[in-house]
This record gives sequence, structure tokens and C-alpha cells, in this order.
Amino acid sequence: MADSPYSVNQGFRHSLAVQIRVLGALLLRETLTRYGRHNIGFLWLFAEPMLFTLGITALWTATKSVHGSDLPIVAFALTGYSSVLLWRNMPGRVIGSLMANLALMYHRNIKVFDIFLARVILEFGGATMSFAILGLLFVSIGILEPPEDILKVFAGWHLLAWFGASLAIWLGALSHEYEIVDKLWHPFSYILFPLSGAGFLVAALPYAAQEVILYFPIVHGTEMIREGWFGERARAIYDIPYLAIFNTILTSLAVLQVHKLSSRVVPE
Amino acid sequence: MICVEDVHKIYKTQLGSNHVLSNVSFKLHKGEKLGIIGRNGAGKSTLVRLVSGAEMPTSGIITRSMSVSWPLAFGGAFQLNLTGKDNVRFISRIYKQDFEHNLAFVEEFAELGAYLKEPVRTYSSGMRARLAFAISMITEFDCFLIDEVGAVGDARFHEKCNYELFQKRADRAMIIISHDAAYIRDHCTKYAVLHDSRFTPYDDFEVAYSDYADMVAITKVPVSKNIAQYNQTSQLDVRYRASIEDERFRILVQRGDWARDRGDWELAQIEYEAALDLHPYERTYWAQHGHVVRAQKKYVAAEISYRNACALGIPILDVRPFFRDVMKHQSMDEQEFPLHPLGKGNVSLQPPSSQHIKVLAKAIWGVHSLNLSETLDLMRKNSSMDNLVYSMLTNKEKFTFSAPLEENDDPPHSKTVSEKDSDWIIELCQIAQPNLNYSNPEAAIAQFQQLDGVISTIIRAGGFNDWKKVQQLFMT
Repeated sequence: MADSPYSVNQGFRHSLAVQIRVLGALLLRETLTRYGRHNIGFLWLFAEPMLFTLGITALWTATKSVHGSDLPIVAFALTGYSSVLLWRNMPGRVIGSLMANLALMYHRNIKVFDIFLARVILEFGGATMSFAILGLLFVSIGILEPPEDILKVFAGWHLLAWFGASLAIWLGALSHEYEIVDKLWHPFSYILFPLSGAGFLVAALPYAAQEVILYFPIVHGTEMIREGWFGERARAIYDIPYLAIFNTILTSLAVLQVHKLSSRVVPE
Repeated sequence: MICVEDVHKIYKTQLGSNHVLSNVSFKLHKGEKLGIIGRNGAGKSTLVRLVSGAEMPTSGIITRSMSVSWPLAFGGAFQLNLTGKDNVRFISRIYKQDFEHNLAFVEEFAELGAYLKEPVRTYSSGMRARLAFAISMITEFDCFLIDEVGAVGDARFHEKCNYELFQKRADRAMIIISHDAAYIRDHCTKYAVLHDSRFTPYDDFEVAYSDYADMVAITKVPVSKNIAQYNQTSQLDVRYRASIEDERFRILVQRGDWARDRGDWELAQIEYEAALDLHPYERTYWAQHGHVVRAQKKYVAAEISYRNACALGIPILDVRPFFRDVMKHQSMDEQEFPLHPLGKGNVSLQPPSSQHIKVLAKAIWGVHSLNLSETLDLMRKNSSMDNLVYSMLTNKEKFTFSAPLEENDDPPHSKTVSEKDSDWIIELCQIAQPNLNYSNPEAAIAQFQQLDGVISTIIRAGGFNDWKKVQQLFMT
């Protein structure tokens, strides 16, 4: 029986099929649970981050925020704040998610990793759609130039998503054993926001500050997205290998922590 | 086949590590049904979770060459914000099943009607249980894990469940854990006892159950030392809880029930009496005890038991027909010595039970035991504890027998009050409610230890406070 729904060992392809099926079921369940069927339902998935970004864009436009370049402020806010949502919402949703879904551990096909991954995918989808839709909207009504190098935007976006996903899963796994993770994440993410490069260009900082700020991996992703969108004008400074290595380390930590957690988790 | 080899499970807690399972090994073949007996917290559910694969053992290997269900009828996996239908859809997806087909089955089986389209949050606990069981049945497994399914739903639903599990799926393997030993006896082919983290397999239920009873009997259950329970009903309620949580009590009454169902009155009497010896303030089994001694024509004992049942809170209506029969056989007038029900208010106003009489006889007369007729005589004549203590204090010759001394039965009525002094003193304090220093009740109780004048000592300590007749007696 090639398609048995049970996890009697049947090889990698089978396992993969089970995994994908479980992820799909979890995604639908998460979406339904979170957004329900009322009013616009699952559209909230990206309507919510869109509202955030719109709000910030309006605010920065109104206050004519100083960001150290001649870039249009709408474009600046869109690229900056969308990136923040990307890396910040994933940990926010994944922390504590296992506790809420402990009972699901009774279904042997559902692994700890699946629960984290389902939420990561959902957040990634929401932030990405919000970014894409707002970008299209702004371009089509003429307040934003289309990106100069869409592939670079794409690559930068995914490097940031990789960072966010690894961080989310690592913290998610840690939070199951250490409650303090949940408490610390909120202040931590707020402090990280101004340091993430969302509100300024690195090139506009004094040299000494640049040195420091470039230790923050997120900055590299944000700068890369900006360069993809604005080209030369963004005067971006970033180091892909640095971000990639950082992400790899974070991913390893996440995988190790999930592995450790999986052998200890006690279903409700 | 499921093969469990040398499995250990240790939980780390704040107080150190808790060795829940050690050295557990067994094999379960297709079609075999394993029933596991063990007290609360013995690790039964943990073992089931390990077998299901939801949790990993600390060491040891569990291999499954057949598909194993999740613990059956387990409702916790519901997402409460989702509708019953959504939950069916989720499970169908996880196990790659036809949703429409499953939905039709659940609709028919769980009988939830339009509620299936409402969030599970709005369901009653019975509805949740029905949904959970129906969902468990939509996926076919080679081995089913059943954790306390016996407690679910009304009788008709229970029957439906039994049909689905034991008729339609008679060829499957099962692991069943239940508090209901009869359920395990009736549905399993092999048995195991889980006690003190050890797993002992048996082929015969009777052997397993009697070994289990022996293991449990050695376990000490702490006596409640809480004295500050002013009113009688709450005192009795606390004691009732204690009895249903006491595995020893449950085993004894279970065996008593089985003997009763076979019509073996004598054995039933022995088992019930052993149980009531552990928890003499439990009410329902006093009535049961009454029935089995009445069947043996021991009318004095039966009358005591029925009076006990009422004094401890069984409604008079439930007992009266039997009581009437018992009185008729003794040619006694029911009007003259009516049943006294448990009422509201202070202990002093409540009717005494035989255990109260035993404790008071020890305190007032210094006697270790009373026989049945003596006990019954006191019960008949005293409708309240206040009266009882008054007449015990004033009646120096102790008895004017109105009940015939026809039987001289043994336990539990003639069983001596607990030899350990502090136990009966605690019971006495629970009755008399002296003002104690609750920060150190042991020391407070110790002051009453000397038998001579224990009653007056307690009265001086503020005991028997609103006992009108007793107080009168001591005023003069």
C-alpha cells in the first residue's frame, strides 16, 4: 500500500508526501482558527500587515521623516517596514505555538517541526502578499517607481525570511521549555526594530555607526532589498555571505533545539 | 506486532526526577487485547502515549509493525474555535481519508445534528465525547489504544461504542486502560498490572486483580487530619471524596459488587465490610451492605446499615422499603423507631452513625467495641448526636436492651476503634470541634490523649459548643 496514511516506514518519498499533507492540513487549520469565516476571513492574513505598512507609510510621509537620502518616502517606508514585518511576525507567532497545539502531538504524523513550520509559512505568506500587493498598488497609481532589479529584491526578501524563520523556530522551540523567551521577545523585537535598517540607510550614518550597525544581520537584508528596488540611489552596503553564515548558524541552532524538544515533548 | 523492549520513562520535575516506568517489556500481536490495571498516576496513560508514539521513552525501544491509533475518544485534540465539521476535515486530511464519507459517518454516529456546524467550544462535555469517539472511528487502525472510554456518554451511546469497538473491530489489537476493572475483565485477553513503575503481565484476570489488590493494600493512604470542617455535610463530602480516590476502597467494593451479582452474599458482606472499615463514613456502600446482610436474614446488622446510610446522607426514600422489611422481620414498630435523615446544620443535630458511636463509646466509656445490639439500641433511641452523647454520659449502666441479643456478628460493628490513639481522637475532634491551635494540630490533639476525662477536657477547650443537652449537663 504505497499510500497508507500511517507512518509505518515506507521510505523517503512517502514520508515527504505525509509531511506535505500534514503541513497543508495544519496551514488550513491555522488559517481557519485565526481568521475564521467571518467578514473577509483569511484575507486578513495580508490585510493586517498591509494596514500596518500603510499606517507607517502615512505617518512617515506626514512627519517627513529624516532617513538620510533623496529616496521617496513612500518607497522607503514600504521596503523598510515590510521587511520588519517579515522577520518580526514569524517569531511572534511561533513562540508558544507548541503549547497551544500540544494535543496534536497525539497524531504521530504531526511533528513539532510541522507545527512551527506551518506558522512560519503562514506569516511568510502574509508578509509577502502584503508587500507585493502594496508594491503593485503604489506602482500602478504612480507614487512608486517599479523595482530596478526585481531578482535582487526577491533574493534579499528571502534571505530575510530565512533569518526570520530560523529565529522563529529556534525561539519557538526554546519558548516551550523557557517561558522567559516569550517575555523577552517583545522588548527585544522593539529594540531591534530601529536597529534593523528599516528607518535609515546605512550609508547615511557616520562611519563609526556603520561599523556597529553592520553587525546586525537584518540590516544586510534590508539594504539588499533597497538596492534591488532603487539601484545605485540606495547606496546600499551589505554583505551576503555574512547574512548567509549567520542564518546557517541560526538554522542549526533551531534544528538542534527542535530535535531536543521532540524527544521530550509530553502531549496534553 | 507491537514490541516494547526495556522501556524506561523518567520525568524531570522541580523535585527531582520521577521514574514513571522502569523496565517495561511486552509484545502485542494482532487481535490481542491487553488490559492494564493500575492506580491513578501509576503511569498507565504515559505508557499509552509512548506506545502511540506521541511521546518518546527515556530509554528502550518501541517497534510497531502495525498501525497504532491515537488514544481513543481523546477530545483534547479539538481546536475549540473550529466547528465539529472542520475538525473532521482536519483529521481526514492528516490521515488522507475521504472527507465526505467521514462526515456522513460522524453525522450518523455522533448524533450532533446542526451542532456539527457550530464551534466545538459550544458543545456540552457529552457532545464533545461523542464527537471525539466518532472521529476516532473514522480512521482504521490495526491497534487501538483505549484510555478510559468506559466513562463516556449515556448507556445507549456506550453500547454503540462497544459495538463499534468489540464487534466490528474484534480482529484488532487493543490496549485498554480503565478504572473500571470489570470493563477490562470483559474485553481483554491478557492483562498487566502497573504498580510502582513496574509492569507485571498476567494471563488470568483473577490472578492479576488479586495481585493488584495486594500491591495496593500495602500502600499507605494518608488520613485526613483536617478538623476544621464545621458542618456535618461538608465533613461527609470530604470523606466521600477520599473514599472514591482510595484505590483500596474501590477494589474492595468492586469485588463486593461482583460477589453480590453472583448472589454470594457472604463474600459480598466480607468485601463491603473491609471497604467500610477503611471508609466508615461512605454512604452508598452502607446501603449495599444492608442489602447483602438482609439477604442473609441478619436483620439487626441490616437495620444498622440502613440507619447508617441515612445518617450519612442517603435519602430516606431510597432506603425505606428495605428498612420497613427489616423492621417487620424483627416485629418492630417503624413508627416508634423511625429512620433519622441527615439534615442541615451543626453536627450536634445530626443522627449518629455506627462509627460515631464507636468513637464516642471509646471516649466516654473507654470500651473498644460494642456489639451489634448495643450499637443498634443507641442508634434507635438517639435521633441526634447531642442526645446520644447526653445519654451515653448519663447512662452509667450503659444499656437497657431493647434489641434482642440474637446475633453476635463480627466485623465491622464489633471491630475495635483504631488502636492508634490519635486516629480516634482526631475523629472525636472532628465531631466535637474544640478550639485547636491549627498551626500545630498534632500538639493540640496530644492534650486530649489521656482517656480519663477526655470529654471534659474537650469541653474546656471549647468543644461540644452548641450541643444543648451536653452543655446543660456540664453546667450543673
